[in-house]
Amino acid sequence: MTQRIVSSMLIISGFLALFFAACVPEKREEATDLLADTLISEDIKMTDEVVGQMISSVPNPVEMSVLLQKSDVIYSQELLNPVSGINNYNTNFKRALNLGVYGTDLVYMNIYDRTVTTLSYLRNVKDLADDLRIGQFFDYETLNKLSESSRNVDSVLYITNRGFDSMTRYLIDQSRSSISVLIAYGTWIESLYIATKVETYPTNKERIHQRIGEQKIVLDNILLLLSNYRNDPNFEELFLDLMDLKKEFDNVSITYIYKEPAMKEVDGNIVVVDNSRSEVNIDEEIVAGIGKQVEYIRNKIIE
Amino acid sequence: MSEEILKALMQLFAIIAKQDVGLSTNERVYVENFLRQQLNESSVKEYLALFDDYVGDKKASENEQEKKPKLTSVKDSVKTLGIAKKINKTLTQKQKIVVLVRLFELVNSDKKFTPQRMAIIDTAAEVFNISKEEYKAIETFVVEENIENWDIPEILLINSKKNPTKKAKHIFFPQLEGNIIVLRIQSVDLYFLRYTSTRELLLNGLPINNRKIYLIARGSVIKQPKGKPIFYTDVASKFLSDDTSINVHFKIDKVHYRFPSGHIGLREVSIEEQSGKMLGIMGASGSGKTTLLNVMSGMAKPTRGYIYINANDLHEESDLVKGIIGYIPQDDLLIEELTVYENLYYSTKLVYKSLSEEEIENKVNKVLFNLGLSHIKNLKVGDPLNKEISGGQRKRLNIGLELIREPAVLFVDEPTSGLSSRDSENVMELLRELTVRGKLIFVVIHQPSSEIYKMFDNVTILDDGGFQIYYGNPVEAAIYFKEIDNQIDSHIGECPSCGNVNPETIFSIIESRIVDEYGQPTANRKVSPAEWYEHFKNKIPVKKITGAFDKLPESFKKPNWLNQYKIFFSRDFFSKISNKQYLLLNLLEAPLLGFLLAFVIRYVEDPTSDVYIFRNNDNVMPYIFMCTIVALFLGLIVSAEEIFKDRKILKRESFLNLSRSSYLCAKTGILFILSAIQAFLFIIVGNYILGIKGMYFEYWLVFFSLAAFANVLGLNISSAFNSAITIYILIPFLIIPQMVLTGAMFSFDKINRAIGGGQEKVPIIAEIMPSRWAFEGLVVNQYINNKYNRDFYSRRKLESALYYKNVYYIPELKRYVEDYKFRLSQGYEEPICADNLELLRNEITKEHESIFTQYHDYKFNQINKLVPGKFNPSLADSLTSYLEKLNDFYRARFNTVNNAIDEEIAKRIRTPEKHKEYRQLMNDYHNEYLTSFVKNVMVELPLVRLNNHLVQKTDPIYLDPQDQRLFNFRSHFLAPRKHFLGNLYDTFYFNLIILWIFTLLLYFALYYHIFSKTIFFAENAIPIIKQKINKFRNKIRDFLIEQTGI
Repeated sequence: MTQRIVSSMLIISGFLALFFAACVPEKREEATDLLADTLISEDIKMTDEVVGQMISSVPNPVEMSVLLQKSDVIYSQELLNPVSGINNYNTNFKRALNLGVYGTDLVYMNIYDRTVTTLSYLRNVKDLADDLRIGQFFDYETLNKLSESSRNVDSVLYITNRGFDSMTRYLIDQSRSSISVLIAYGTWIESLYIATKVETYPTNKERIHQRIGEQKIVLDNILLLLSNYRNDPNFEELFLDLMDLKKEFDNVSITYIYKEPAMKEVDGNIVVVDNSRSEVNIDEEIVAGIGKQVEYIRNKIIE
Repeated sequence: MSEEILKALMQLFAIIAKQDVGLSTNERVYVENFLRQQLNESSVKEYLALFDDYVGDKKASENEQEKKPKLTSVKDSVKTLGIAKKINKTLTQKQKIVVLVRLFELVNSDKKFTPQRMAIIDTAAEVFNISKEEYKAIETFVVEENIENWDIPEILLINSKKNPTKKAKHIFFPQLEGNIIVLRIQSVDLYFLRYTSTRELLLNGLPINNRKIYLIARGSVIKQPKGKPIFYTDVASKFLSDDTSINVHFKIDKVHYRFPSGHIGLREVSIEEQSGKMLGIMGASGSGKTTLLNVMSGMAKPTRGYIYINANDLHEESDLVKGIIGYIPQDDLLIEELTVYENLYYSTKLVYKSLSEEEIENKVNKVLFNLGLSHIKNLKVGDPLNKEISGGQRKRLNIGLELIREPAVLFVDEPTSGLSSRDSENVMELLRELTVRGKLIFVVIHQPSSEIYKMFDNVTILDDGGFQIYYGNPVEAAIYFKEIDNQIDSHIGECPSCGNVNPETIFSIIESRIVDEYGQPTANRKVSPAEWYEHFKNKIPVKKITGAFDKLPESFKKPNWLNQYKIFFSRDFFSKISNKQYLLLNLLEAPLLGFLLAFVIRYVEDPTSDVYIFRNNDNVMPYIFMCTIVALFLGLIVSAEEIFKDRKILKRESFLNLSRSSYLCAKTGILFILSAIQAFLFIIVGNYILGIKGMYFEYWLVFFSLAAFANVLGLNISSAFNSAITIYILIPFLIIPQMVLTGAMFSFDKINRAIGGGQEKVPIIAEIMPSRWAFEGLVVNQYINNKYNRDFYSRRKLESALYYKNVYYIPELKRYVEDYKFRLSQGYEEPICADNLELLRNEITKEHESIFTQYHDYKFNQINKLVPGKFNPSLADSLTSYLEKLNDFYRARFNTVNNAIDEEIAKRIRTPEKHKEYRQLMNDYHNEYLTSFVKNVMVELPLVRLNNHLVQKTDPIYLDPQDQRLFNFRSHFLAPRKHFLGNLYDTFYFNLIILWIFTLLLYFALYYHIFSKTIFFAENAIPIIKQKINKFRNKIRDFLIEQTGI
């Protein structure tokens, strides 16, 4: 009897041993070879600090969106990058650009109280940020809750903005400034795109066109930023496209009219008021030209 | 007898009768009587006319015949040949023998043994293929008239003389006038009887005519008006006694039995019997009959006393003795799904190793024939509610199962309960017949009829409380009790006119009650069991059998382990596939469940689209969870009743000394096959519908392994519990904890800390849940090895580790140091507590051992100074700079790895077609919800502090087990690999092995009856503890009474 037990145990343990043998050699190759690489120093001409400052000079999408709303622009969902677009963004380059695009879309929607569809965009922003490994700065939970009510628009916008700011700072801190440049670029292009596309009353249109024209200065900054990374073919492509846009913007003339600054008392404090202003000369035709090139760039980004 | 045979017989009779001088009156009378026995009056006339007609033929040509009277006419010979051949085609050998005997009888009726007549009989015998010896014996038996000539081995003489014969068998039968001659035809096992006197003698209650020859049927009784009858078995035993069978001597010596609960079951019972006897064990209900049977058969061990079989102790030398004991319990032991034939067939195979298939078939057919079950051998046994064969047939089949093996000692528990009186007698006859072949049979019987009662050689009577109050001859039992009861006719054992003994009277005497003054019986008995026992001890002398004992034969040649396995396997297999409902339901259940489940949870997320995308189905993880639950359920359900159902059969087979492991292996083998098929069907349907691609085998393997575990678990409970309802009540109890602790429904971080929730590793209680090993294995495998992820897994794993270090871990450590600096600057008395220092010490030690140390040479050399009192600002500074350097390292490496992955992906999606392919791959193999589950993205804190250690909570799927002590195999939930003995193994295979280890352990638990023993112990411990408590309480009470005098 015991012999049988022993033999049956032997058989079974034999099976188990086979099992073990079968799976032991299947040790997965570790990817640690990547660790041995010495740090690839990007060919950077600009310090991270400067990059950070320049990025912060790129207007955030809230300004443009508020302007649009004030200009009685009618909300148009079709303008936005479709939610399903996210499936196409599988590299950091694409993700970063479109994180910016969706960020702008999200702000635009929030200003117009489109709370239901907002959630999908919020989710996209969150997913892209996660994929870029910067999701920790995006308080999805809170935003999700806040989005439930239109009364919280201000908070939503604040948190979104803060999130984007922290991302930028963090990325620069982590020597991943290229990502943050792309996010900023995406944000800017999407704002510009929406601005060139909206329809409204002629009087209001004028204000929008003025704002578009003002972007000439921003464009120069962005070109400077991008030129920093031109050794990357993706960036080079962006740069060249942007150069084409610059040609359109060259038609815009900005004259700076100087006026003596004045002193003024505000709440018991003396403040200096800058009375100088820039005058933007832009017409329908120029806007159309800009719009065409912006559309081209933007559609390339989101495809 | 059929019309055809009768006609043929009439023809043969006529041919014989018309020979020589022609038909005599006696012959015609014989034919008429013969017909009268077989038929009713009108038919008799019809056939007699036919007979006359045939004979009349002869009369017409009488003149021709007269010329040569000494020769049989050719015409008659040819005719005889024709008829005999015709008979040959329709009659069995037995019937042909009967015909032959009848022919002899006809001739004998007038004693005209002329050569012509004999020549015709001779011709018939030859055509019938009856051997010369038997023909001769029949002739001797019919023709001869005196004792000397009968002295041949085929004949048995019964008379009142002593030893009159040499070769012939003999039974001494006092008061018999003349001789009874019995002939045995061995080839067909038939017995014929002749009687030479005219004194009254009854065969089965009918008078015997001295002119006629009778067939002694099974169970026949030959009776004189007074005195002991002769049974068929007595006759048969004389012929069969030379069959080699061992002489068994069975002795029960003062056996005392106490139940575990403390009740006494048997007191000082002694019995001594030997082969060829049948002992009845009688008594009121609850008097200990079955207990005695159990003790005698070795199933229960007596508290005191011994049981010997040929001087071998039954309980001490059970291996030696077990094989010769057979046990037929009261309940049926049949496999209901099999046919009558198959039931016997498998039993035979289990018992006889050396027999060929043909021999086994012959043996089974023979037993079936002997039991009178041949005609129903292909009927399914069926259960008692869904009857296919009658109660008596079931009982006979039960006995047959034991007979096949021919045990020398047979224990039978209430063989007649629930049977009609006719069936009862048949069954008892069958047993009685066995004693003829040298078996010793013990029968527990409740209320036997007179007929049955008298069949016993001895009876023993038990009374309430296990007292033995009688042991001896059954007829004398009546006299004994009547005498003690002072009844008038106490010397008469059986009814003088009808010969009946009514065992009822015995019991009414034993249990008679004292009558009160109103004539109502009271609860008190006239004679208590103890008093009856005293009577018995004083009045009945102890029987002693002396003589040398045969050596016990070696137990029968049972098949070896593998053959037993094959037999058990095929028996189980055929009983399963013969149950169509069972089979169909079991095979349909799995794919139907798979379909139902998968179909319900297959959905398209995008309301504007109709295209199902696997990636967006949030139900994949729940589906995997349900797979484990379904596997458990299906596995348990197919097995939960298996052993329980076989329980009675196992009880009987325990006497066969068969290998339990081969039984269990066969059982599990069948169930495993069933489960494997179910797993296959479930997975193929479920995975197909849900679009889980390329993982069929892995899913099947886990599903099957878990179901196999459940199979063995089910077998355990089915062997441990004694009713189907308990088993089914238990199933939720076994399944629900497994559901709860799978890790799918409730995160292990969010369960009660008392059972290990929120710790680094999986709670111990979940470690013993096979469902969680299965679930974890499947989920981990689904995530890591799907076609989309598998190429990137190892890089992502590295990326994850670097990210964690860079973003959460190092900054957290830095925070402790900064905290110290801040508190120091604020002038706190104790700027850093011992716990924090310990944490830093622990973590930096770990950091020194991490795999990343190979790629940098930063080291903090003063770990031993991280203790209260030794920590100072300069140390804090160097620690900060160490952490800074580490942080830079991790940051840089993270970027490298991150870029490398990004580049790889960019390479793969360079062209639009490739990008499309890539997206398709992702849609087909990647699952968003599962990903967020295995990355634990919903976790609130990416790392937690546990016992001065930092524990990572994010990305468990990318984190190898941290505790790599030699024997540790536990890890956090969803670890990609598991550690054991210094090696890391893929979780999928590791978990599978754990599942099989569970299964193996349960198998051994099953083999060693661990569950049933535990339950038995628990059940019996309670009354014993109660008793002890009561005793103790009584003692205290007595003590108090003594002390206080109250």
